Amino acid sequence: MTRGLIGKLKGSRSRFLIGLALLGPGLIAANAGNDAGGIATYASAGAQFGYRMLFVMGLVSIALVIVQEMSARLGAYTGEGLGSLIREHFSIRMTTLALGAFVIANIGLVVSEFAGIAAAFQLFHVSRYISVPIAALMVWGLVVFGSYRRAERLFLVLSLAFLTYPVAAILAHPHWGSVNTNLFWPHLLASKDFLFITVALIGTSVTPYMQFYLASAVPDKGIGPQEYKRERIDTIAGTIFACLISLFIIIATAAAIHTRAPLASASQAALALKPVAGPVATQLFAIGLLGASALAAAIVPLSAAYAVSEAMGSERSVSKSFREAPIFLGLFTAQIIIGAAIALLPGNLISTLINAQVLNGIITPLLLVYILILANKKSLLGKAANGPIFRTAATACVAVVAVLSVVVLVQTVSGWV
Amino acid sequence: MFRYIPTIPSKSSIPLESLLSVAGLIGSPVIHQGGQEVGRLVDLVCHWDSEQSYPPLTGILVKVGRRIVWTPADEIASVSARRVQLKTARLDLRDFQPRSGEAKLIDDVLDHQLVDVEGARVVRAADLYLAVTQGTVRLVGVDISYASLVRRLGPRRWRIRPSLRAVIDWSAIQSFGQIDTQNNLRLSASSNELRRLKAAELADLLEDLGRTERQELLQSLPIEQAADALEEMQPEELESLLRESTPEAAASYLAEMEPDEAADALRDVDGELREQLVARMPQPAAKLVNSVLSHNETTAGGIMNTAIITAKASETVSELNHRLGAIKDDVSTAIGVVVTDKEGRLLDNLKFADLFLAKPKQTLKELIDSPATPHTVHPDDDIKEVADTLIASRSTSVLVVDEHNRPLGRILADDIIDALLPESGRFHFPRMFS
Repeated sequence: MTRGLIGKLKGSRSRFLIGLALLGPGLIAANAGNDAGGIATYASAGAQFGYRMLFVMGLVSIALVIVQEMSARLGAYTGEGLGSLIREHFSIRMTTLALGAFVIANIGLVVSEFAGIAAAFQLFHVSRYISVPIAALMVWGLVVFGSYRRAERLFLVLSLAFLTYPVAAILAHPHWGSVNTNLFWPHLLASKDFLFITVALIGTSVTPYMQFYLASAVPDKGIGPQEYKRERIDTIAGTIFACLISLFIIIATAAAIHTRAPLASASQAALALKPVAGPVATQLFAIGLLGASALAAAIVPLSAAYAVSEAMGSERSVSKSFREAPIFLGLFTAQIIIGAAIALLPGNLISTLINAQVLNGIITPLLLVYILILANKKSLLGKAANGPIFRTAATACVAVVAVLSVVVLVQTVSGWV
Repeated sequence: MFRYIPTIPSKSSIPLESLLSVAGLIGSPVIHQGGQEVGRLVDLVCHWDSEQSYPPLTGILVKVGRRIVWTPADEIASVSARRVQLKTARLDLRDFQPRSGEAKLIDDVLDHQLVDVEGARVVRAADLYLAVTQGTVRLVGVDISYASLVRRLGPRRWRIRPSLRAVIDWSAIQSFGQIDTQNNLRLSASSNELRRLKAAELADLLEDLGRTERQELLQSLPIEQAADALEEMQPEELESLLRESTPEAAASYLAEMEPDEAADALRDVDGELREQLVARMPQPAAKLVNSVLSHNETTAGGIMNTAIITAKASETVSELNHRLGAIKDDVSTAIGVVVTDKEGRLLDNLKFADLFLAKPKQTLKELIDSPATPHTVHPDDDIKEVADTLIASRSTSVLVVDEHNRPLGRILADDIIDALLPESGRFHFPRMFS
């Protein structure tokens, strides 16, 4: 009787696939944070500040667990995505502000995904002026003409290359003593660069797109209040897993690269995988980067298009024509075009990647406020609304993130003047 | 892009200029008899009534200082786009106690999902319009234009101005959240209209609605109609719908569905839930579903319809007709009678048209083509082979037989189309390897 997925997978190799199949949206959502922007940011943080960044990453992990849990809970108890919840529970102006900010943050992410694709192909000596337009056309075509599902699995498998980071970190023989002290005891620097990378780290980990994604993916899987206990474990475990990978990326890079300067190129970042892959480290890094970027290059713009059409109450089906679903497909297309175009502008790809994460980091606290208000609402969640302790912790999280973002925003804007 | 529905004024005989925008009324001053402002309008409460297509206003919620106060409609002298005028000189400080069948327009309806029954689609209310008819303020229409969303972003003079490019008459709307809590009755007038929708249209609505709304819609439908709609849903959508429903409700929908469709749906849910659901299904339905489930879904056995009508060759036409008349189950997928010999082995497939033209006294044996050449497949045959057999047969269905040539089920052309077509639909959030 056990047909379906598990029935189809026979043999020992499939055990692994079954294991992956049981991992739910919580893990996928959190792991999607380890996309091009994530890799670049974690690697740059490790290269520039070494183990010092670990304490910040630890704090970001706690914040991410709190935020992801709230998003999954909102999805499970209301059965609606954040786009719909915001429209129903905030004024139309506040809704426009939230979704406008979300779309801008996401365009930043799309830019970074295409920059990631460009960087991956550059490692194979393919110019970005060839790889980016082709990749953009392919991602767009796969989604609009409906054969994206299969491609998505390929991208997922490719992105698993990054699971070698923990091995690389261990083989690189980092100074575990200083890893420990830096992880549990703050070694912060009061410099502008440190703050900048901190906000990039927040932006790439607590990306608004992941909260929107998770809140919609949970009810999409049919998970309701009864199943939420299990989903909560899945979400928290998935988030912790993804954060551990991020920590190992920082450790591996900090141990392999000693420049203590901002990351200069993707090939430099690939050095961190040398202990595990030796001469093919660059290729392994490129494959992982390509998979992760291509995966996110479709999901990120789809999530924003989905949230906006959900809020506007318009058709959100990939199988519909442009005339039937103008908002959904139009927004998706626009994000791909704008994202790919910006990624083609001349300049260092790694700094493009990190700037996009900072943009996300600045926008994140705004959207976290919405999530916090929704998760606090007794009229919406009943008994599942945030209790006093959780509410305090979550509010503190959002406040800290907000202060950091404002400081970086002010610094950046004053730098322009 | 949108239908302009010119029926509004004619149907409800309301001049367009007298429509009031609910979104524009938010925060309007509430003035007492003496002409002084007592507070600001927070919400409007309407009563849903199965007798009336246009819900009447029963009262308003006014923010007085920090308190929210209930004012019944009979204390309101007039409602205009810029103010609400009270009849009384002072305001009683009463709290709002929602009575059954009442809904808050701004909190519960505006910006929420609604079903446009005439257009068979899910819409989100960008604005709601009120009109005064015979001294009563009523909810008469819903605006679904994006232009109205933009209008609401603007200054007050934009917000209060109704835009009539995409307005739907309220009598064609099914709204949610208005279940009569005491009698568990739906109070919306258009639920009868809903029953006229086709199964495929209802399936689209169920896919587009949020969880609470679609559960409410499902519960308001007769079970047969709900099951028909479920059969038309996209597999992933149906899967999450079955998971989110109570096991009892899910099992009752499944029992009402065609066995092959129910089995298809059950294949998509995980093992634990599948067993729970089959266990809750009534015995005959569970048995039929189990027999389909025991076959692989890419084979003939996995997509066949096991609800077939069989008859012995010795039966006469009148005996068969009599028996057919007594069948109470849904026979919509039975497109003929499967004729067998005494041992239950397949002889031929008799179309209803053949029976219709036959004389009552004739036995089925006399009606069978000689030599009989029914096109059959075996349960383990691949769907591609089934399709080839169907094409060769030039018929609309093929029969599935076991190794002793005993009929097991029937595969209709549409089952094959379903099995061969790639799945497509609403964007789904990726699930790793599932």
